[in-house]
Amino acid sequence: MKTTKLAKVMCVGLAVSMLSSLAACNGTNETSETTTIPSQIETEPTETEENVPYTYGVGKTFRADQPVTYTMFFSDASWYPMVDTWKTEGVFKKIEELTNVTLDIKSYDSGDYMDQITLDIQAGNAAYIIPKIYDDSKFVDGGAIVPISDYVKYMPYYTEFYNKYDLSKDIQTITRSNGKYYKLPGMKESNLINYSFVIRKDIWDKAGVDVVALQKDWTWADFLEALKKVKSYMVAQGMCKESDYIWSDLWCGNESGQGSGGNLLGVMAATYDVNAGWNIGNGMRYNKDQDKFLFSPVSDNYKEFLKTANSFVEAGILDPETFTQDDATATAKYYNGKTAIMSINQGQWANYEQNMTAQLGAGNYENYVITMPIGSTRNSTVSPERLENGVMISKKALDDLGEDGFIQMLRFVDWLFYSHEAYDLTKWGVEGEHYEVVDGQKKLKAGFCCSGLGFGNDEAESMTDIRLKWGYAGGNFWYGGTVAEMSDNLTGAVADYVARDAQDRDVPPLAPGLAPTPDQNEEINLIATPLISNVNAWTLKFVTGQEKIDAKWDEYVKSCEALNYQGLVDIYAQLYK
Amino acid sequence: MSDITNTAPELRKEIHIHNPKNKIKESAAYKTFTACNFILMAIISLVTLFPFLYLIVQSFTSDHAIIAGELSIQSFIDGKLTFEDFSINTYIYVITRNNHEFLRYYGNTILYTIIGTVLSLFFSSILAYPLSKPKLKVNKILSPFIIFTMYFGGGLMANYVLMLKLGLKNSMWGFILPMLISTYYVILMRSFFMSIPKDLEEAGEIDGLNKFGVFWHIARPLSTPIIATMTLFYAVMYWNNWFNAKLYLQDKAKWPVAYFLQTIIRGAGASDPDAQNMSANIKSCAMVLTVLPIICIYPFIQKYYVQGMMLGGVKE
Repeated sequence: MKTTKLAKVMCVGLAVSMLSSLAACNGTNETSETTTIPSQIETEPTETEENVPYTYGVGKTFRADQPVTYTMFFSDASWYPMVDTWKTEGVFKKIEELTNVTLDIKSYDSGDYMDQITLDIQAGNAAYIIPKIYDDSKFVDGGAIVPISDYVKYMPYYTEFYNKYDLSKDIQTITRSNGKYYKLPGMKESNLINYSFVIRKDIWDKAGVDVVALQKDWTWADFLEALKKVKSYMVAQGMCKESDYIWSDLWCGNESGQGSGGNLLGVMAATYDVNAGWNIGNGMRYNKDQDKFLFSPVSDNYKEFLKTANSFVEAGILDPETFTQDDATATAKYYNGKTAIMSINQGQWANYEQNMTAQLGAGNYENYVITMPIGSTRNSTVSPERLENGVMISKKALDDLGEDGFIQMLRFVDWLFYSHEAYDLTKWGVEGEHYEVVDGQKKLKAGFCCSGLGFGNDEAESMTDIRLKWGYAGGNFWYGGTVAEMSDNLTGAVADYVARDAQDRDVPPLAPGLAPTPDQNEEINLIATPLISNVNAWTLKFVTGQEKIDAKWDEYVKSCEALNYQGLVDIYAQLYK
Repeated sequence: MSDITNTAPELRKEIHIHNPKNKIKESAAYKTFTACNFILMAIISLVTLFPFLYLIVQSFTSDHAIIAGELSIQSFIDGKLTFEDFSINTYIYVITRNNHEFLRYYGNTILYTIIGTVLSLFFSSILAYPLSKPKLKVNKILSPFIIFTMYFGGGLMANYVLMLKLGLKNSMWGFILPMLISTYYVILMRSFFMSIPKDLEEAGEIDGLNKFGVFWHIARPLSTPIIATMTLFYAVMYWNNWFNAKLYLQDKAKWPVAYFLQTIIRGAGASDPDAQNMSANIKSCAMVLTVLPIICIYPFIQKYYVQGMMLGGVKE
């Protein structure tokens, strides 16, 4: 009896303590506010600049007078894993020789990188320099990361680039509700297109489709007509049957498309000024004409986009298995000539060429990267934000090094991530040793290759890959920069399509920066998660023809209403007053 | 059968029962049911085994055939996939890649499995044995604490900070210690120890053995079945574990093979062209090599797995 009473008392006590904990979780008092970022940053030298024990400044190589060590997290990719030679003779050694700074690398496998650094940061075990950060939101509130916007005035290279290319509006997109930002982003002069489609130009030519003449102004409907012609030719030549599909794409299946239609629907939707596929996000998109944020998956443009995507499946051109198959299945079909078009990005060109030479023989095929067709806009599929992933600096660095030491480290970070000198070093290696500049164009020297720069080689086994051996062209350093810097490794066909896109297509408008509070972020996620699953499921049904778009459109919109897309619209309207 | 007349009546009865000729005649419906059952099970087995079979075939197939998408039964029938596409180069490559790193990871796994299993068995049994004594008063306090850990844990962060503060990050012990004692296995062992007759232990005590002596010289030798089963359970657990390596082993030289395998398979989902190019046969080869010991041993030890679950379940 006594025990029962005791148990009851304990239960009540437990319930009370749980309730009080819940009551305590009433959120932060932080409110969202419109933030402003200066259009120009004034650099601020320290008062003792003349006497600082290191060399720094635009045009100068950062160099500490005494050897110094900074810890840095490192995202280690399993396909080019870090080896000892990176430290003994490669990229880290060269940085040390130039700057007198030793980087104490704490590396984690790239697949676990975010999980691992989150653990370390939250456990108070953060490295000073934390590169390769895409989303910094989970670190902002903990206080373990320095609000770097307070310190950029000490960073001359960063400031120069920011001011020269007027990145204030772009930076606004990563600014938090307290008016500060927490990561140093990779910045770009302008975005270059990455994803497009590669076609078998030899087949297209024989089918009588002059892609070079057509592509400048072609719409998706023109594109479909061209593909029909190509298919007719292929059927007539016995290259495929009428029931076969000549477009079976990669990056769209369950593996890499993640059930959203992946790359193909993403790029196609972008030309209709809506979000889909990889770029679905939470569905909200800024409409410049109406000057407000809309939930794009229920817009008329989205319906048009769905009809366009479906028209390729209905015409027997696009394989509906595209949205379920493995990437390797798609590439195999293209490599051996069963299909005549497939998605590509800048890094894949050399790889495709190499595999097709192995399959079909050199000279028996011709690849060509096309300019994307036009949807409801002439917009390119590039992202409007000119920012890349970035670097965070831990509070631990400030605590351990003190203000002066911290500023010294920031100036080293400034040199490492924003100077042209470090950009060339970390991307290409040492001039004269690994690469040379011929007629203004960088070229790897004989005996070297680098698949990371798109210079893989059939004879790669007899060559030294500068990424594998020494860590150059790795993903931890290689950020934005000027157009000249970003395109210094693009050659031939890739450079051609990048240039065509920049010339013939418009850059989409930049959405105004919003700064939701953590509570608002949570609410957005709560609404968006089931909503976007619903949108993706319907989208794939519409595109593959399992549901008729006109007949079921209203039902689809109602299903989105039931999942409260209006809630998202309201939050965004509140944020963007 | 001719000797049946010379055998004892009981035995004759038994032989009579087991004589196939005297079996109850199976009805047509029963035969149909059995046939359908057999076919269904065969299909399910095939479907289950096919992915692994495909993996093995893929690991022995040349890059060229895989990239061409010719790894299929149809291609084999069409003559596009021939025995010339058979290759062991992938195995040589995987084993020798990056200074034989695969062998190093393999060696680490063997080391962790042996050390971890031995320690786990020792500590689990010396914990389970006293728990099996109902008269021991401290058990009433201790048991709830032990059972509690089956349902509640400190959470990832707390464990991580603990290992950091203990200086066990990047150490073999960081991999082994968190798995040292499995509460569930301890409970199984405890139930088994409870089934050992008290008389035997008391006889040992009369003969002058202390408590540990009774455990070591009487309970332990009588517990071979549960110890054998626990050895398998723990060994498989250590062999397959990659999560502790992910958390606590930053230094790649200390990785177990399961974690290495995890990283290369996951690398394929990355957007980097090189990652996508890591040939399918390399991944499948690494998978085959990693699961090979377990695959080889498992058919022979499968019965112990089932028995192990039953061992602690029945009490006198």
